[in-house]
Amino acid sequence: MKNTPRCYFTLCKRVIGLALCFVLPGWASGAELHVPATVEAGRTVSIPVPGSGQATFYLVGPDVVVKRGVNLGSDLQIQSSDIRTAGFYRVIVCDSSSACSSATFEVKAAQPAHLSFFLHPSRVPVSFPDSIDATAFVFDQYYNLVLTPAAVDFRITPASGASFSRQVPTRNGVAWMRMGSTPHEGAVEVTAVSGKVEEARVIQQVAAEACEVRMKAVTSGKTVTLETDPVRDCSGNAVPDGTVVSFTKIDRAGKSTVDTPIKKDVARAQFSVEGPARVSVACGVVLGNEVDVNGKL
Amino acid sequence: MTSINDTTLTFRKMLPRFVKATTFAIAVSALAVAQSSAAPRTEPQPQVQLPEVHLDAIGLSPRPIEELTGTTIARHYALAWHDLALGFESDQADGLDEEFVGFARDRLMQRIDEQKQTGVHVRILDHGHHLRAVFYSMDGTAMQLADHVQLEIQTFDGNKLVDTQNSPHDYIVLMTPGADRWYVRDLQEVSAKPF
Repeated sequence: MKNTPRCYFTLCKRVIGLALCFVLPGWASGAELHVPATVEAGRTVSIPVPGSGQATFYLVGPDVVVKRGVNLGSDLQIQSSDIRTAGFYRVIVCDSSSACSSATFEVKAAQPAHLSFFLHPSRVPVSFPDSIDATAFVFDQYYNLVLTPAAVDFRITPASGASFSRQVPTRNGVAWMRMGSTPHEGAVEVTAVSGKVEEARVIQQVAAEACEVRMKAVTSGKTVTLETDPVRDCSGNAVPDGTVVSFTKIDRAGKSTVDTPIKKDVARAQFSVEGPARVSVACGVVLGNEVDVNGKL
Repeated sequence: MTSINDTTLTFRKMLPRFVKATTFAIAVSALAVAQSSAAPRTEPQPQVQLPEVHLDAIGLSPRPIEELTGTTIARHYALAWHDLALGFESDQADGLDEEFVGFARDRLMQRIDEQKQTGVHVRILDHGHHLRAVFYSMDGTAMQLADHVQLEIQTFDGNKLVDTQNSPHDYIVLMTPGADRWYVRDLQEVSAKPF
C-alpha cells in the first residue's frame, strides 16, 4: 500500500493543496486597476475603478494606511495629503465577494525646497589644501530626498578677497565638494544654492603655523629679557594668542627652557644668565634666530 | 497497464524533487515568518534571527569605509529591518527607536499608527539585502546606501489576507552615526536603477 500510485496521488494532492494555500490569496483578483506609474508628491490622484457595487479600498504607503468603502464604477480619489512621502504605494480594492485587485504606483519627490547643508570643519588653518568639505542633501517640501539630478551652487565668500563659486550636480540627492582654505584669516561664508533654496554656513579660517620667528634680547645685569617680533604665518596672518613659543638658554649653569604663550602677537620671557649665554627661540616646528648674551659662549 | 506503470514511475521520479523544492520554499517562508514575529527586543538578544545583509563598499567615496564601520552598518541595518517587520506585523512601534531616527522614524511611527486605526497590518518576509554604500561624507557623519532586496509583503485586514506581493524592492538609505550605533535616518523606496 505504501508505494501504490493512489498513495502518491493523495500525497501529491496534499502538496499541491498546501502550495495553493500560499498562492491563491495572491491570485484572487477582481477587475484590473489602472494606476499612474509615477506621481509627484503632494498631488491628488484619481484612479478609475471598474465594476459595480460596493468595495473596500486600501492604500498602503511608506507612512500611510487608508481603508474606506468605495463605489465600483466610479473614480477613486487619493488625497494629496495621503501621498506626500516619496516611495511606492499599494492600492488594493476588494469587492463584496472578497476578490481583490491591486496595483502599485510610485510617488516621486517634488521640486527642491530644503537643503540640509554640512560644512566641515568649523575652524581651519589658512592656505590648507583640501581642508574644507561641503555636503548638501536636497529635499522637497515634504522632506523627500530629491533623486532627480539637480545643480547645487556652492558660493564662497571670504572675509577678504573675491567671492567665487562651484557648481556641483547632485547624485542620488547629494552634492559635495572639497576645497582648500583661502589665504586670509577670518570668517568664510559658504552658501549652498539649489534653485530658489539656499542655506549658508560659516567657517572660521585661522592663521596657519608660524612661518618665521625672530627675537631680540635686552640685557640688564644678570637678567636678559627676550621678546619676539609679531609672530605670523606664511600668508602674513598673526598666529593666534596662546600659541606656545619656546625660549632655550645655554650658559655655564646648563640648559633651561621657558615655554610662553603668544600674547598680542608677541611672546616674552626673562632669564638669569651666568656669564656668556646663547638663547634660541622656536614656535612649533619653526626654529627662529639665536642671540648671544654677554659675549660668545 | 504499461501506461499506468510508466506514469507511476514518472511520478516516483518527479515527486521527491517537487517535495524537496516545496519544502525548501516553505522552510524559507517559515524562517522569515519566525524572523518577523520574534519577541520585542529590549536588549540585544543573541537568539534574534536577522535578515541577511551583504554590504558592498567597493569604490566608496569621498571617504573609504573602515572595516568596523562596515560591520556595524550591516548589523544595524539588519536590526532595523527586523524591527520594521516586527512593527508592521504587531502594530507596535516601541522597537523603532532602537535603529531609526529622524524622518525614517517619524514616518514608520505614523504608518504603524495608521495601521492600528484601520486594522490593517503587514507581514514582511525578508529574503535578504544587497546593500551598496554609495556616499560616505568626509567628516564621517553620513552614509548613503542603495539597497536591493527581495520582499514578500502580505497585507491583512484583520485576519483576512487581502494582498500578497513578492517582488524585488530598491531603497535609498541614509544612515548616520550615534553614540554606539549607526541609525537609519531616511529610507526611501525608489524604482530600480543602477546606482
